[in-house]
Amino acid sequence: MNQFVTAVLTSLSSGAIYALMSISLVLVWRSTRVVNFAQAGQAVLTTFIGYEVTVRSGSYWIGLIAAVISGAVVGAIIDRFFMRPIFKRVKSGPIVMIAPVVATLGLLGLIQAIIGFIWGFTYVSIEAPVSTDGYNLFGTVVAFSPFNLMVLVVVTIAMLLLTLLFQKTNVGLALRASAFSPEIARLSGIRVDAVRTLGWAIAGAAGGLAGMLYVPGSYLHPNAMDVLLVFGFIAAVIGGLDSLFGAVAGAMILGFAVNFATSYISYKLVFLTAFALLITVLLVKPNGVFSSSKGRKD
Amino acid sequence: MEFSLQARGEKIDMKNTSVRKRGLIFIAIGWALLIIGDRVDDLALSQGALVATYALAIASIILLTGYSGQLSLGHSALMAVGAYAAALSTNNLGLSPEIALVVAAFVTGLFGLILGFGVARLSGPYLAGTTLALAVSLPTIANQFAILGGEQGVAFDIGLPPARFGEEFSQYKWFFWICALAALIMIWLISNVLASRYGRIFRALRDNSVAASLSGINVGRLKVMAFALSAGVAGLAGGLLVMLISGVSPSAFPLSLSFSLLTGAVVTGVYNLKGVMLGGLILVAIPEIAESVVSRIGGSEGFTVALPGFLVSALLILAVVFTPNGPGHLLHKKKH
Amino acid sequence: MIRNTRMKRISFVSTVVVAGAMLLSTVPANAADPGVTATEIKLGITSPKTGTVALSYGKLPGAMKAYFDYINANGGVNGRKITLVSRDDKYLPQQAATQTRNLVLSDKVFAIVGALGTATHTKAYVAAQLAKNNVPDLFVNTGFSGFDDKTKYPTTFLVLPSYAMEAKIISKLIADTPTLKPMPSFLIAQDDEFGKDGVKGFALAGHKFSDTPILYPAGSLSAAIAEGALAKINAAVPSYAKPVMVLMGTTDSTALILKAAEKLSLTSKFTWIAGSVGGDANTLLALGVKAATIDGIYAASFFPDAKDTTDQYVSQFMKINEKYNKGVTFDNVVLQAMNSAMLTVQALRAAGKNLTRAGLMKAIEDKGSTFASAGLAPLNYSATSRVGYNGYWFGQLNATGELKPVGGKVTLYTTDSATATAPVLSTYTRKPIPKNGIPTN
Repeated sequence: MNQFVTAVLTSLSSGAIYALMSISLVLVWRSTRVVNFAQAGQAVLTTFIGYEVTVRSGSYWIGLIAAVISGAVVGAIIDRFFMRPIFKRVKSGPIVMIAPVVATLGLLGLIQAIIGFIWGFTYVSIEAPVSTDGYNLFGTVVAFSPFNLMVLVVVTIAMLLLTLLFQKTNVGLALRASAFSPEIARLSGIRVDAVRTLGWAIAGAAGGLAGMLYVPGSYLHPNAMDVLLVFGFIAAVIGGLDSLFGAVAGAMILGFAVNFATSYISYKLVFLTAFALLITVLLVKPNGVFSSSKGRKD
Repeated sequence: MEFSLQARGEKIDMKNTSVRKRGLIFIAIGWALLIIGDRVDDLALSQGALVATYALAIASIILLTGYSGQLSLGHSALMAVGAYAAALSTNNLGLSPEIALVVAAFVTGLFGLILGFGVARLSGPYLAGTTLALAVSLPTIANQFAILGGEQGVAFDIGLPPARFGEEFSQYKWFFWICALAALIMIWLISNVLASRYGRIFRALRDNSVAASLSGINVGRLKVMAFALSAGVAGLAGGLLVMLISGVSPSAFPLSLSFSLLTGAVVTGVYNLKGVMLGGLILVAIPEIAESVVSRIGGSEGFTVALPGFLVSALLILAVVFTPNGPGHLLHKKKH
Repeated sequence: MIRNTRMKRISFVSTVVVAGAMLLSTVPANAADPGVTATEIKLGITSPKTGTVALSYGKLPGAMKAYFDYINANGGVNGRKITLVSRDDKYLPQQAATQTRNLVLSDKVFAIVGALGTATHTKAYVAAQLAKNNVPDLFVNTGFSGFDDKTKYPTTFLVLPSYAMEAKIISKLIADTPTLKPMPSFLIAQDDEFGKDGVKGFALAGHKFSDTPILYPAGSLSAAIAEGALAKINAAVPSYAKPVMVLMGTTDSTALILKAAEKLSLTSKFTWIAGSVGGDANTLLALGVKAATIDGIYAASFFPDAKDTTDQYVSQFMKINEKYNKGVTFDNVVLQAMNSAMLTVQALRAAGKNLTRAGLMKAIEDKGSTFASAGLAPLNYSATSRVGYNGYWFGQLNATGELKPVGGKVTLYTTDSATATAPVLSTYTRKPIPKNGIPTN
């Protein structure tokens, strides 16, 4: 019984963490149809900024705000001065699909190197703003702390707010239109380039939030979110890249699969479970569990 | 239908001359490498072997991505499959190392065939995600089965150079010969395939899969075939790599290898098979250059450690921004 | 036609470029052993400079270099100054192989010192042809017992006791302590040479764990796995029991497990025994483990505690660290590194003015066991043995991170890696440190 409860609780925590990353990835995808591998680097960079602010101000929350804001700024800068020139130069041929992906990979390495230049490679910690000790449930201390709850709540709220943004506001419509069909969007008066930058800014902000929520349970260093990137990407693909709800749901499914597999079968199965889950889902639904329409082929 | 008939007629002539021309080019390159191999020292030979191996791995990426339009982030895993196949063939089945390399190619090709079936329906980012998951998860299988040796891995010994080459013939030269020869033969075979009807079909598939399927091409089948071929080549490269480090272990094929190969492919032009040697050279040379730059100018710990990664990433970004279709294209444009 | 020309041109250019690059690096061969001149001895080391292992061992090359700098400032070795070339292998076998090869072929070092990691060094050893070129492979920084096989690694000298030895001595600790012996015991270890060698050692000692050892994939231990494992074990033991929990892994994994215990309020439920690498109190504290958690953890060492300024070796190395390794806090890794460097210097001295690779290795075989070192265990080098230290003493950490010996006095046990023979109490007394830490052998 205890094993089951523990597995469920750790799955919820893991799922929430994966969701942090998958939300950011889906945000970029939905607004610009690019898979942004540099997300891990951006998030770490903005978390380091948040770390510096936290250390100086003594408050985690001020650091969090700083991380979110700098995340938006960094995201916007990257789109305006990096991604936009690439899109301008690469207009035809299948390289169109590959170039942005490869560019973001290069950007990831670049950002991580810059972080290494500035902060070095030692591990630093950020203290959580609330307790990380497990709740006491009926006399046993369980593997779920106030901090885990906080992460879960924040992720859920973020997902709801962002979904509202995308589905119910004009800005959201503009974002979706610019991504889905830039030419037509431009024709109907939407400033596609500016809207794209906004999309990257929002995704960057989400990344900053993700980092500040992730690090207190782990450590901060240039490669801190590499593994999370992989899991976040897998989660996003499982859920279907077109849906924010899918991003969170996919993350939860992944979290449960991995944690139950490691708890009940073997601790060595972390990545294999992720792969098995992914390939099973995609064999049945090539566009993810929660993809509604057939969607574009690319 | 008409088009292809005419093209076929036309091509039979061209094909013969092209095959012969290509064959001559490869033989010439082979001889050149042979002569060079006699004149340089062990360090250069070991680097040359690595260049050839990377070139082959990059060729597998170009085959898949440049020619059939499927993006894979999982080639490190495919190389791992080939590596383990080679190592287990020599250790457990007692095959000779040379045969083991062939086995590596076939086993990985078969694996790629199965995998290709699974991912044939996937597009763009979904394929990327799956191959990414493959890259991080496949090496961990080694910890599941004792025969794969766990984290320690399995040794792979290609043995000493044949005695008839004499005492002076170093192990590194032997490695260089094997890698260079394997890479040359494989790339020659691939370029033949690509110049043939299949190459044309692959390119049609890549450029516009909808139009391709409308003109009668079985898109699914071709994608799978491309995957299998690419996997086979990657498997051979994996076997060669493992020969160079005398053993395979999960940590020898990290995700960063997949990224490096993609970098090499993009930098040399993902459409153009001919640049792979340059790509391999760049992958081997960049860390060296970074090391020498670092030792010359020194700097803080963070700086020296981060510099090689910085240079590689910067190079990749420059390549994507300024030569998204490869430097070959640049040369081409300059001429016209 | 045009495409063919372009293809030909590019392939030709590629070949020329490759050829050019290779020809440019042609260098004539040397007759004597490389890496030695009248004024210089060149040594090489590869180690990870980033990643989880670097947390524990990142300070290694710098500390070794600091000691060498100190010796250079005091006359060097037989008039020669020691240069240490340090390369980053990222703890990846491919990189380790390439970098070791670079050290041998490009930097042309005289010997390799302090190589790190089993998966990395086993590959690097063969790929760089250290055996064929007779390159001495001194004082490897790993506890993998397989390196003492002279047929496979003819030029390798171990220094650290193996993980199997450590496991046997842990077994003895548990068996000898009345409060620990009757309790259930568990093992959580890294799924590589750490854990596997450790498991082998426990089996040799005949120690039975209450459940199959948990082996987690190295580098991918997450908080979730740690919490799940601890909760599972806790649920399986009676509430009155205080089980023994042995942790064999890197510091960040040990920290993760301890933090999971803090979260589940299980820190005082278990008696913790941390392995030699993971039990580094300074790093654990830096990684966020509470001081109260560390208080009471058993840890092993074969050195004096790095905070024990009354120890002559520790205080001397501290002085050297202060002057030649500015900005780096003195801890167990720095102590270990400087100790290896001191052993290296003594080996070089013992090999005489006419310095050759074969001579160096013979010197260690003949005289290595008499070298002065900070270790409280004896060195076991001989014509038939490549084993360095072969013993540990156990202590408990306190809240400030000091390791205090069990029973108040250091009791060191020595053993081997291959037999079931129980560890024996060591009567070895350490040689006093040479004056000012400068060997005169």
